[in-house]
Amino acid sequence: MSESDEKLVNVKIDGREITAPASLSAIQALWHAGYPRIKSVGCLEGVCGSCRVLVRRAGNSEVRTQLGCQTLIEEGMQVMFLVFPRPTHHTYKLEEINSSWEVQTKFHQIFPEASRCRECRGCNSSCPKGIDVMRGVELAAKGRFREAGELFVECVMCDLCLTACPELIAPNHVGLFSRRVTAYFHTRPSNLIRRLEGLQRGKFKVDE
Amino acid sequence: MIGIPYAEALAHYQSTNSRDLKESDMATDELLRAFHPDYREDSLVTLRVGPNQGNRCHRQLAQLLQADARIDEADLAGATIVKTDVLVVGGGGAGCAAALMAEQSGARVIMATKLRLGDSNTVMAEGGIQASIEKGDTPQMHLDDTLKAGHDRGDRKLVAKMVMDAPDVIRWLIQQGMQFDLDEFGDLMTRRAGGTSADRVVYYRDYTGLEMMRALRESVRNSKIDVWDYSPVVELMSNESGHCAGAVISNLKDCSYVLIEAQSVILATGGIGRMHLNGFPTSNHFGATGDGLVLAYRLGAKLRDLDSFQYHPTGLAYPQHLAGTLITEGVRSAGAHLLNGKGERFVDELKTRDHVSAAILKECAEGRGVRVDENTAGVWLDTPGVERSNPGILAERMPKLVELGKKCGINPAQMPLLVYPTLHYQNGGVVIDEHGRSTVPGLYCVGEVSGGIHGRNRIMGNALLEIISFGRCAGQQAAEMSHGRGHKKVTIGHLSKLRRELAVAEMPMDVKGPMLFPECAKFEKDADYEGFRRKKR
Ligand SMILES: Cc1cc2nc3c(=O)[nH]c(=O)nc-3n(C[C@H](O)[C@H](O)[C@H](O)COP(=O)(O)OP(=O)(O)OC[C@H]3O[C@@H](n4cnc5c(N)ncnc54)[C@H](O)[C@@H]3O)c2cc1C
Ligand code: SF4
Ligand code: SF4
Repeated sequence: MSESDEKLVNVKIDGREITAPASLSAIQALWHAGYPRIKSVGCLEGVCGSCRVLVRRAGNSEVRTQLGCQTLIEEGMQVMFLVFPRPTHHTYKLEEINSSWEVQTKFHQIFPEASRCRECRGCNSSCPKGIDVMRGVELAAKGRFREAGELFVECVMCDLCLTACPELIAPNHVGLFSRRVTAYFHTRPSNLIRRLEGLQRGKFKVDE
Repeated sequence: MIGIPYAEALAHYQSTNSRDLKESDMATDELLRAFHPDYREDSLVTLRVGPNQGNRCHRQLAQLLQADARIDEADLAGATIVKTDVLVVGGGGAGCAAALMAEQSGARVIMATKLRLGDSNTVMAEGGIQASIEKGDTPQMHLDDTLKAGHDRGDRKLVAKMVMDAPDVIRWLIQQGMQFDLDEFGDLMTRRAGGTSADRVVYYRDYTGLEMMRALRESVRNSKIDVWDYSPVVELMSNESGHCAGAVISNLKDCSYVLIEAQSVILATGGIGRMHLNGFPTSNHFGATGDGLVLAYRLGAKLRDLDSFQYHPTGLAYPQHLAGTLITEGVRSAGAHLLNGKGERFVDELKTRDHVSAAILKECAEGRGVRVDENTAGVWLDTPGVERSNPGILAERMPKLVELGKKCGINPAQMPLLVYPTLHYQNGGVVIDEHGRSTVPGLYCVGEVSGGIHGRNRIMGNALLEIISFGRCAGQQAAEMSHGRGHKKVTIGHLSKLRRELAVAEMPMDVKGPMLFPECAKFEKDADYEGFRRKKR
């Protein structure tokens, strides 16, 4: 099981022909072959969303979007690193939403495109985490933010759905908005609040 | 590697039902001295140059602390100069908290980060963050646990500030839009960290860092903070009276240098995992190369505990391409046992991390580990055991673990994972005070780059707490201190002194620091960046 007797495969990464052990990711294969790569590299664990790649497998014309650190190389595979898109034009501050009664109105002001989703599923098919992004947008547009946010638990903000969306909805930011308002307005744990009150009343001291 | 062959060990695992603990009678101190990597005599040297001259330091780190700079005056001729109030270096949790508070306090803020905003150790954190909020728990207990786990080497003042601030840190994070796991009544759920006396870790699944980073990044992106991606700092600058006064950025996009002059600088560059100390694999992100330590040290900041690092007990041992990947302590908190190649327990899994790691290294060194090949051995992490006693828990509370299992071709609910200690955390770092100030005026250091809180061993959840607590405080302080002060002359003059000292100490001048990127990425060879190290003059 050592590296020396591992199966070697031939792949093409960013136009370079590379032969490397099949257990390597696309990023590791590049390094293995002696090619430098620092851009689009981050946590190497699939949670930072930096290493966006296009992948085409042998004998298959379909091009898929994936994360390079999570893509194990296969014989005949082609991989292309993608640059990051411009940041979304949507901006908002949670503090500017005065109460939870206003969230829906604000949402449609901040993300006016969300209600124009044409259900093309571009976001779903581009998501490397298999998130039902389109459903999330639909739920958020209906004001069901908690439910929408739940769908985005594993979202790594790779922006692949943002790139894919023809309506410029920025679906991942819709998802994140949904998660954030849920915490901002509804996370009110009594155990935490009790402790904060105690601290304020000077009930807790530590020996310095 | 010696040990019991994989197949045989798996058979032992499957046939043993008794999970009684036959712990060795070695006391912690003795165990650490014999098996913890910090105590390998040949890995330590004495520093010969700089503010910590005469102190013990890990050999690989010492090499970088006493390395030559990447630039000199000539490289900066004609470089663009940009001015700001506060410069934050690093786009992890500590950097974001500092930048947000500085901006809120009215300062103009630039955040320069090596890769992209959010590429960090923070985004990878799994287990959770500490705050004493449960009935039977108090800040005092939190303080006692922290100091004790750190072998009484932590700085009491810093820890006191942090534990008293902890509940407010959680409140602040919720106000940034971060979710936590709540029970049916909406209370924060808590779990226990190894080596502590109360359930005190709050969390979001095993994605605590991802959830934190998502919220903070969105806050930063929606503020007036000017974020510079792909902009590693290669040197700090100081003014006529030795105050830190800015930094030299190397722009990876167009390979040019930019000078940022600032009233104060907040270093939040994180840890050192990618230095692979003692040849260990690491759980850290790609940019964790200890740059902040090198930058601060050169400018004259005092460091501490440079011989103390955390090796997390449960890094994945196999398959090779994932070696070092972290499996959260949350799995052991949930009751998972560690078993050797004979299927026996050998340590109380919830002892402090240094103890558990040393115990694993002992099993492997003495031939009771599970052997995969000549380079790889480990012990079992009994995830199926947790699933049996609490059906559904893995899928519900540890989605990241389940994902990792898929990548290894293993279902952790049915098969144990093979683990081995992984280089995880830098316990020491830049000496700071309660406001995050280093010994160099105008230079703040927060997060993993700083030292003093964790002594010689950190408990789960205190790092995420520290980064937000000290990040917030330093951000606010730096903003308040930056009104109206001006610098007369901002230079990299400290480098002439450094070079003189290096020459006197006869240090090799071919090593350049900071490291910036791990060797495997071949950054130094990259044609795109040829102009980077030595500009064509
Ligand atoms: C896998 C893993 C799991 C963890 N789990 C937990 C946990 O459950 N609980 C807990 O409390 N702690 C945990 N930790 C530890 C904790 O996550 C880190 O200590 C903490 O997040 C560090 O935050 P930071 O902001 O100081 O550094 P980081 O988050 O690492 O950020 C550092 C930033 O500085 C940038 N940088 C570095 N060098 C330069 C340079 N030269 N110029 C410009 N920018 C630079 C980096 O690119 C990065 O953006 C875990 C760590 C890891 C690796
Ligand atoms: S939802 Fe969008 S940003 Fe999130 S992981 Fe999927 S594609 Fe990436
Ligand atoms: S890509 Fe955009 S328009 Fe298409 S389904 Fe997704 S959100 Fe709707």
